[in-house]
Amino acid sequence: MTTKSRTLSIKQRGLTNFESIMWIFTRLSALAMYALILFGMIGALVMGAREQMNFADVMRWAFMPNVTHVQSTEVPDLNPWSNPFWKLTASALLLVAVAHGVHGLVVIADDYITSEGGRKFVRLLSIIMMASMSLMGLYIIWTS
Amino acid sequence: MEVTVKIFRYNPEKDQRGNYVTYKIEADENDRVLDVLEYIKGKTDGSLSFRRSCAHGVCGSDAMRINGRNMLACKVLIRDVGANITVEPILGLKVKKDLIVDMEPFFDNYRKMLPYFINESPLPADGRERLQSPEHRARFDETTKCILCAACTTSCPSFWASDEYYGPAAIVTAHRFIFDSRDEAADKRLQVLAETDGIARCHTAYNCTEACPREIKITKAIGEVKLAIITGKLD
Repeated sequence: MTTKSRTLSIKQRGLTNFESIMWIFTRLSALAMYALILFGMIGALVMGAREQMNFADVMRWAFMPNVTHVQSTEVPDLNPWSNPFWKLTASALLLVAVAHGVHGLVVIADDYITSEGGRKFVRLLSIIMMASMSLMGLYIIWTS
Repeated sequence: MEVTVKIFRYNPEKDQRGNYVTYKIEADENDRVLDVLEYIKGKTDGSLSFRRSCAHGVCGSDAMRINGRNMLACKVLIRDVGANITVEPILGLKVKKDLIVDMEPFFDNYRKMLPYFINESPLPADGRERLQSPEHRARFDETTKCILCAACTTSCPSFWASDEYYGPAAIVTAHRFIFDSRDEAADKRLQVLAETDGIARCHTAYNCTEACPREIKITKAIGEVKLAIITGKLD
């Protein structure tokens, strides 16, 4: 009788395939975004945000914890936001969010575009979009 | 009781596109929708075409959309669907005639899952069967119930968008062999499922679970296959 425990290596179960790696990345990056968003909001509270708690401000702290966005929120002291630690946090959230969002769009596009050439074109476009959005965001974060 | 049945009709030799024809007939509330279709074909309009074979929910031939939901016509009673019934072919596959669709893309996907037992190891010393514990058998019991009626796959929005997606029925078949402790080709099946048109296209809509006339928990089975790809554990 077969009783041996059956476990497959990464290669055996097809996880070396780029598409399946991205499939797992999309799930993990969603979790990472929750963590980073919470981190940004808690950071804002720690650094003195008390009254600027309307929806728009909370969204700014959550999604873009950087000095450019904090400027418009009447937080009295902007210095804590412009240190490298918060810039790195903001960069991490930006990169994860862009990759997650763009890959989500690719998956949706795959529902409608099924030819191999079409799918390659969508992937090329999405890589260009992902790179340019990431670069623009990083520029804003690190030059402000 | 009088039953009004609106049926999708399409004759490829005459019609540019399908249209609906309404029939009014007398039926008992305990009749099945299949009985009603048989009655119309026998007494009113012999040109009506649909698939049926066993008529007892086992062969899976007569999956169709009844009042917008995928069901087996032989398993649903008039009293369950009411006196106004709309019958249409299952979605996502090309209609050949009336309620008959081209099942080839469905079976193409099915065949990609290697739907047969693979074990290249020598037989046990006594040269007889490969034994399996009741626990190992129970692991894939749910997915052995599939009758390949295509009710699940043709209720899946991902499959409607693209029949390149293998679809729930194919993944259920893969599940049946992947988790069979006697089978040795789980890796081949998982590698196929890890491709672009595999499990990544399942967006967990749950339509398949609702549509299954055998009440297989299909979304759960697909989830287990996803986990097997992520963790590599087959037990």
